[in-house]
Amino acid sequence: MPKEQFREADVIKKISHVSFSIDSPQQIQQCSHLQVKMKTLYNQDNKRTPVENGVLDPRLGVSQKGSICATCNQGLNECIGHFGYLDLALPVFHVGHFRVTVTILQTICKKCARVMLKPEDGKVFSKKLMNPNLSYLAKKAIHQQILKKAKKSNKCPYCEFANGSVKKGPGLMKIVHEPFKGKKKTDLLLTAALDELVQATESNKELSQSIGPSSLIQELNPVEVLHLFKNIPKCDIPLLGMTSDSSDPANLIITRIYVPPACIRPSVASEIKSGTTEDDLTMKQSEILLINDYISKHMNTSGKMEIIQEDWDYLQLHVALYFNSEVSGVPLNMMPNKSTRGIVQRLKGKQGRFRGNLSGKRVDFSARTVISPDPNLMIHQVGVPDRIAKILTFPERVNSANIQMLRQMIRNGTDIHPGANYVLQKGAVNKKYLAYGNRDKLAQELKYGDIVERHLIDGDIVLFNRQPSLHKLSIMCHQAKVQPQRTFRFNECVCTPYNADFDGDEMNLHLPQTEEARAEALVLMGNRSNLVTPRNGELLIAATQDFITGGYLITQRDEFYTKEKAMQLATSMITGPDSDLTIDLPPPAILKPRRLWTGKQIFSLILRPNKNYPVIVNLATKGKNYTGNNDMCIRDSFVIIRNSQLICGSMDKSTLGSGTKICVFYAILRDFGENEATKSMWRLARMASYYMMNRGFSFGIGDVTPSQRLLEDKQDLLDKGYARCDEYILEMKKGTLQCTPGCSPEQTLESMMLKELSTIRDLAAKVCFRELHPTNSALIMAQSGSKGSNINISQMIACVGQQAINGKRVPNGFEDRALPYFEKFSKIPTAKGFVQNSFYSGLTPTEFYFHTMAGREGLVDTAVKTAETGYLQRRLVKCLEDLVVQYDGTVRNAISEVVEFLYGGDGLDPACMETKNRPVDLDRQLMHVQATYPHREQVKISSKDIRATAEEILARSEYSSSRNDFKLECMNYMDKVAKKIEKVETKYGHCGKVADEINRITEGQIEQFMNIVNEKFNRSTIEPGTAVGALGAQSIGEPGTQMTLKTFHFAGVASMNITQGVPRVVEIINATKQISTPVIIAHIEDNKSMEVARKVKARIEKTTLGEVSSFLEEVYRNDECFLLIKLDLDRIRVLGLEVNIDTIKYSICISKLKIKPNQVEIHGPSLLIIRPDTAKYGNMMNVELQRLTNLVPKIVIAGIPSVSRAVIAIDDKEGFYKLCIEGAALRDVMATYGVVGSKTTSNNIWEVFNTLGIEAARTTIIREITEVMEGHGMSVDYRHIMLLASQMTSRGDVLGITRHGLAKMRESVFNLASFEKTADHLFDAAYYGQTDSIDGVSERIILGMPASIGTGVFKLLHKHDDKKIQSVPIPIFDKFSW
Amino acid sequence: MAGILFEDIFNVKDMDPEGKKFDRVSRLHCESESFKMDLILDINTWIYPMELGDKFRLVLATTLQEDGRPASQEYLASEIDGSRADSFEYVMFGQVYRIEGDETEASSRLSAFVSFGGLLMRLQGDANNLHGFEIDQKIYLLMKKLAF
Repeated sequence: MPKEQFREADVIKKISHVSFSIDSPQQIQQCSHLQVKMKTLYNQDNKRTPVENGVLDPRLGVSQKGSICATCNQGLNECIGHFGYLDLALPVFHVGHFRVTVTILQTICKKCARVMLKPEDGKVFSKKLMNPNLSYLAKKAIHQQILKKAKKSNKCPYCEFANGSVKKGPGLMKIVHEPFKGKKKTDLLLTAALDELVQATESNKELSQSIGPSSLIQELNPVEVLHLFKNIPKCDIPLLGMTSDSSDPANLIITRIYVPPACIRPSVASEIKSGTTEDDLTMKQSEILLINDYISKHMNTSGKMEIIQEDWDYLQLHVALYFNSEVSGVPLNMMPNKSTRGIVQRLKGKQGRFRGNLSGKRVDFSARTVISPDPNLMIHQVGVPDRIAKILTFPERVNSANIQMLRQMIRNGTDIHPGANYVLQKGAVNKKYLAYGNRDKLAQELKYGDIVERHLIDGDIVLFNRQPSLHKLSIMCHQAKVQPQRTFRFNECVCTPYNADFDGDEMNLHLPQTEEARAEALVLMGNRSNLVTPRNGELLIAATQDFITGGYLITQRDEFYTKEKAMQLATSMITGPDSDLTIDLPPPAILKPRRLWTGKQIFSLILRPNKNYPVIVNLATKGKNYTGNNDMCIRDSFVIIRNSQLICGSMDKSTLGSGTKICVFYAILRDFGENEATKSMWRLARMASYYMMNRGFSFGIGDVTPSQRLLEDKQDLLDKGYARCDEYILEMKKGTLQCTPGCSPEQTLESMMLKELSTIRDLAAKVCFRELHPTNSALIMAQSGSKGSNINISQMIACVGQQAINGKRVPNGFEDRALPYFEKFSKIPTAKGFVQNSFYSGLTPTEFYFHTMAGREGLVDTAVKTAETGYLQRRLVKCLEDLVVQYDGTVRNAISEVVEFLYGGDGLDPACMETKNRPVDLDRQLMHVQATYPHREQVKISSKDIRATAEEILARSEYSSSRNDFKLECMNYMDKVAKKIEKVETKYGHCGKVADEINRITEGQIEQFMNIVNEKFNRSTIEPGTAVGALGAQSIGEPGTQMTLKTFHFAGVASMNITQGVPRVVEIINATKQISTPVIIAHIEDNKSMEVARKVKARIEKTTLGEVSSFLEEVYRNDECFLLIKLDLDRIRVLGLEVNIDTIKYSICISKLKIKPNQVEIHGPSLLIIRPDTAKYGNMMNVELQRLTNLVPKIVIAGIPSVSRAVIAIDDKEGFYKLCIEGAALRDVMATYGVVGSKTTSNNIWEVFNTLGIEAARTTIIREITEVMEGHGMSVDYRHIMLLASQMTSRGDVLGITRHGLAKMRESVFNLASFEKTADHLFDAAYYGQTDSIDGVSERIILGMPASIGTGVFKLLHKHDDKKIQSVPIPIFDKFSW
Repeated sequence: MAGILFEDIFNVKDMDPEGKKFDRVSRLHCESESFKMDLILDINTWIYPMELGDKFRLVLATTLQEDGRPASQEYLASEIDGSRADSFEYVMFGQVYRIEGDETEASSRLSAFVSFGGLLMRLQGDANNLHGFEIDQKIYLLMKKLAF
């Protein structure tokens, strides 16, 4: 059957909520069809018939093809399966509920089974718990409180029975109760119990063996526990957290278990060894029955107590394993031989039911094959092999428009391409297969309303996807183009969003099956609608590689074509739907001595092939190789496009490629829409590849052969660099090396060497660029930006450079040296991994070895990175998935809690930002308006009239409902323009008409400008229903995959580095309390003076007594012994410490050494004496003195104890002094005299939260993530980061994006279960009797319902009452029939 | 002479002062004799070689037709023959794209920028000599070397 268009199901059938509970034995019986008693699976009759009332009873359903269910008489496809049950001979604990069983036992009295709360407390709690609006989280919290209270009481307030601690006992799932724990030996209750024991042993000698002193510890076996639980009074049950009506703690103890239907544990008949392979569950069930039999046999024949106990333990183990085969604490002798799959294992994990089958499903109508490039395909097309097209079908309903086509398709049948595979005639039940039978007849009989499952044909809407699907652009909609090959093909421009290359990548294709799905896919997922990434609004689908090279070469300044060549190049873009395109060749740029067209003229035809073409694009921007002087740039790298004419500049990556906003195609996209943008992209693809094919572009050994001069220059560079390095080493040896602040000489040397060596490579790269001929292929590629960087070129030709491992030079792998080839302690560049050869000249063995070391690090890094970022992405998406923009502009989660009042603070869509964070690039827009609408008939507006004109225009009615930020921004910009014009006017006012041409602006232009800007602002508001949460998560997670894992970044000073990259993002997102590099940046009040900065630093940095004393001596004399401390007053002065001998005495006294003020004597300004208490220590005096000598130097005399280091740094931008402080003491730093508290920041989110509150924490999260992203050159719109921070802080507490945080953000059981700890959440939910109201995205997907996200947010557009249609009065003459 | 915007004789003062970056195109820095205009001009030296110190006559016109008939915007082969171009050696076609004042200098010198399909020209000088220049104007450049 073809898929019907989705309609929301009938109200009666809709799942409103899902409740979780624990079935009682009675309920189990009610749900079951039979009781299973037999342990054997099959009868011994060689026919392998299942035993009646066995685990494979046919009444439980069918698992094999051809058999019929004995209960419902249906086959494999129809029978849904039926449950059975089996009774256990003895009750056992439930593994999943074992923990709560113990907690209940801790809460209740072990005699009267009441909850051990004082009656008044109990009342308060039960009142709280009975609140119907109580949230899941609150309920859990109250339960914890009750537990805590009840656990404390060791005497039942009702029956006064002695209750002790209840714990998980030794052995598998044992609970022990120690009623007399902590009681004194003389306690009455204890002695009474002991007496009882003595009596018992006296009367029964046998007991003395099993009863010892440990018998006061009482084991609570399941029977006793069940008895206790049954006795818990009804009124006390809610106090255990089980608030739903039907919940009963007795159900936590298993006496009866379900036997699941056969279809979920199919028996597989094996051909080889006549027999069947049974499922793990089946085997476990029959094992349980076997043990059951043993127990009942022993019990009936009054067997030995020990044997029954042993069997009971086995029963307990196997029931536990049946539920969870990974149960821990199984005694060695009971350990099963092979591991099985329990029910929990079926649910949890990536391949488990939740993540593998409910959240994501296998699909039909999909294809997968290798991909290859095809520049002849348009951007929105995908080439589909005809073999695939013949298998993927679309059910098309016959109507008058398509009947002819479909008839022909039926005639073609299944083997000829535009054919059909099945026909479903109207009213018929079964569809007809078209491989056989009389197709001509079927075609003839085809009528309206029939459904033909036709082959995929050209123009069909398909979804195209490449894993890993890290962002929404990883699955986009294309239009199929059936072609006779075996691979999927698409235009290379679309590689970027999929992150695809053609080294063997495979991609998937899906064919939507309904018209509605096609329409939605085309509009929302179409790759033409997704040229721009929502991450930051940059163009993602744009020219790549060869197209950029081609575009670069065509637009070189010295590229000239004769008429023949020009014409040929221009016509290369005429094809396909453009085959009737008119091309207006402009007059040649050079008319004499011979007619020559320039490449730029031909390139302009890509943008605007003829003069009636609507696209008039304007752009002025710097290119990649810009040197200066704007358009007169000598490298011709300032691009001006005026009215679609390339005026100057050669195109390169920044103006043609992806990842920029100054790309021509971006300008076309913003001003003329995606159709024109992709069309021109396609024209470039065709022209560039045609041009490249004709010109030829190859790469060979000649391109990387260095010239003699280059070699000399390089040698020169190396010699100089090495000489400088030697100098540094010498300086270090002599000890004259100037240390950088906060660094040791070794560290300083390392950083200086590293800097020196990296300059060598950079300079070598520069030399390369200078020396290489402009026609060098590598150079062309690097300059155009199509592939490779200058570093790559330099490595091939000149010098590979320093090999870094962990951001440092190669470490010592041998004793004091990296390789035994070098001298020990050698610090020279070659000994530490500097590779001076190029790949062309070849590496020496040691260089090669160093190179492999760095290479391996890279490989390991990528491997680790993929796993880490994948998990990061999953967590982010899971936590943010349900955040949606509502119709009122707020961002809310699934249960309508507000996360942001206005998305991003301004309600704008990040994908629509032309400049950073603003929707319109006003400069370009004005230029565009001025160029497109010359308004030659109007007079130029003078500077002083501009504001008035603009105000007048904005006051018009059409702008009455415009955004205020638009008006403000426009007016500010107009003022700027007016100022610029005013300057011109004062200077050139007298020059007449020609001066008017400078920055000429007319009223019509302002009008037009306002109009366009207003529209762009309005268009860029975020649409209600946008899944901003998911977008934000992807926008933060996806760049994570591109970040290198281990990088450090220096915070102002070289010695203080901050964790960067993925580890830092993980740290922030997890809301880790102990971050690896906490740094506080403190601004100083007088920030120009180094002196003040030093003083403040001294106040903050921890200084110990040892640091400022010149000596510390133990003095032993005959009559006394003491500790003598001499302060180094000079040092105190140098450090700028604000201490003197008195404050130091005070510090000593308040330290934890317990030295009393009278024990410390001051002798002069620098001498201190500490005398330990003679009376107290007596002859242990020397020990005490030594203890003090060790500890006294560590006494903090100034600064904040938790600050280990503070460094004075110079701000990069403003050049003032500030302090970088290591450690966690924001509060103390802010309060320090001399620090501007209001400007002090910390990178520790928890600390900021605790000191300044939640809003500050949110700001910190935003700032820190932005910093990491920028540090890696990744631009992410601030709105995404803001949303993430809002979600993390929206509960008033900083919640990490982890399972702990998620558990506090969500109530839904399904949502939590589909994330992590599946089984725990399910068991918990059952215990608490939780209901899931199915609001969130995950829950909806699991239950196959549309979620309220995207097009699912609106429910009812208009409620109209049925109106009676007025009957039309019959015309008077029609009343009479003649 | 209808359609002529500017005419003068120039001396080549410098060629590619910042190094030759392109094989077939050179940037000439020239100075005019009568109006003291500065000229920067890219020309195709491959087909029209120029030397340092060369002197040439330069005419900027809006049309090639002697009668001042406006030029068509499309390529018509016939248009060039029998026109003003006949008496010149090197002729280019382009458009004015910017007229700009000098930000730094106090004098009232203006610059007109013309692009001949990517070969740029900057004519800088007193505003009075640049009358008739309009943005987006199509323009012909005609050159002829003068013998000494």
